[in-house]
Amino acid sequence: MRRIVLLALASLALIVLAACGGGPAVSPPPTNVPASGSAAQPTAAAGQLPDLGGRRVTIAVENAYPPFNYINPATGKGEGWDYDAWNEICRLLNCVPVFQEASWEGMIQAVANGQFDAAADGITITEERARQVDFSDGYIQVAQRLMARVDETRFSNMDEFIANESLRLGTQTGTTNYETAARLLPESRIQAFEQFPFAVAALINGDVDGVIIDETAGQGYVGTNAEKVKLVGEPLSSDQLGFIFPKGSDLVEPVNLALAEMRRSGKLDELAKKYFSAEFKLPGS
Amino acid sequence: MAIEHDQIIPSRPTVTWRTGLAQFPWWLVIILTIIAIMAMRIIFDPIYRDIFVTIVQGLGLTLYVTVVSFGLSLVLGLVLGLGRVAKNPVLRNLAITYIEFIRGVPMLVLIFTISFAVVPMVARTFGLPNNAVSLTTRAIIALVLIYGAYIAEIFRAGIESIGRGQMEAARSLGMSHVQAMRYVILPQAVRNVLPALGNDLIAMLKDSSLVSVLGVREMTQVARLSVSTSFRYEETYFILTLFYLSLTLVLSLLLQLLQRRLRPGG
Repeated sequence: MRRIVLLALASLALIVLAACGGGPAVSPPPTNVPASGSAAQPTAAAGQLPDLGGRRVTIAVENAYPPFNYINPATGKGEGWDYDAWNEICRLLNCVPVFQEASWEGMIQAVANGQFDAAADGITITEERARQVDFSDGYIQVAQRLMARVDETRFSNMDEFIANESLRLGTQTGTTNYETAARLLPESRIQAFEQFPFAVAALINGDVDGVIIDETAGQGYVGTNAEKVKLVGEPLSSDQLGFIFPKGSDLVEPVNLALAEMRRSGKLDELAKKYFSAEFKLPGS
Repeated sequence: MAIEHDQIIPSRPTVTWRTGLAQFPWWLVIILTIIAIMAMRIIFDPIYRDIFVTIVQGLGLTLYVTVVSFGLSLVLGLVLGLGRVAKNPVLRNLAITYIEFIRGVPMLVLIFTISFAVVPMVARTFGLPNNAVSLTTRAIIALVLIYGAYIAEIFRAGIESIGRGQMEAARSLGMSHVQAMRYVILPQAVRNVLPALGNDLIAMLKDSSLVSVLGVREMTQVARLSVSTSFRYEETYFILTLFYLSLTLVLSLLLQLLQRRLRPGG
């Protein structure tokens, strides 16, 4: 199958090359443009994915951010979108993914310091972060949403939530969701937890009245706790998520090529269907 | 020249560090110098100043949590401590059970357990909604329950440090057991354990940073929130460290003064 795709791509590239007299070989689809706009365009010949020669790539994951990464209680092993995606990336590039659990707080700094080769944790591409680390191309566009208890009647969107001063909001420390919350609400109304599971548990328990969360992760929780929580209102913002690497990492370009390949081959769609749709259920729930 | 047996071989002269220079608290000078250097940076470097101003926002809550928790844990500690030395075996064993329970579990685990399991359970029992107790209050409850056990042991040691004769003498004057405890034993015991209690107050100030895991916006949490967007790890954590160091230093100097005042015949 992959052979056929490669052949097709190679011939397509030849046609393109012939057509535009040796311009850039393949321009990635528009969704592929990183928000930071700093990543160089891949220049390898189309269909020719680089070979990393079986090298080990250490990838930091939180294992507390379903559906991107979480511990399956049945096996005690980490799994999720990040695991499947990196296994596929390494299959394409001939590398060995080594997943290492790390806390979200300090993860970006740890990658900036070269402690890990990469990190995957549903990381929103932002300019501040791009000054610390290199981002891959965005692999998904995600909206931030407001999550509420299923029986919530006091508000049905963010504006109503903001207007009612008795309502408190939960989110995770150091996330773009926290930044969104801080933009919309006074800090006295925001409760920042170390991990999203705490924030969602606090919502279910009534410690907070709403949680700002990325839609992808939020849907995972709604799927798991459909009788307890729901997403309400319009998307609050829309962001690209990417992998991060130490500044100047030689992995950025190969990974971008692999992501482009996965987009073409439908692998990204397949993973999105598996993890970001209603059919995703957290194991053990 | 042969040494005669009865000649005393002079040993190497030992340097006696008894001079004023050696007695001087140099450690304090070193720490104060570090604090002064940081203070200069904070005054003149806008980046440091911004971070300093950010962290100051959590200072009030840190002090509030520390003072309230310590005050309440003194009360709980005294009750438990008296139970610990009670003649009544039921009381004594209940107190020992509680103390051993708390002392056998890491503080961070207890903070999670008390905040996310025990308090909601108790709230439900009384038919209160889950959010009846704010997370800051839960943090204080957790610190009080934990420190109560540690302070109980301090009080026990203090009570046991007063000789039996004191109790017997007080009883022979016609005092009841309770009166003897209150007017004879405890005043002496408290004075004996003041240094230990002071140490626990300082420990409480430091351990209050643990409640940042509950999202309580004290100094550590404020620093964590700010560093997650600024990425100024070095500056933020240096300033945070210096904050706690300055606070504990001031506290321990105050406690030393207090002890001098309370010294018998002082």
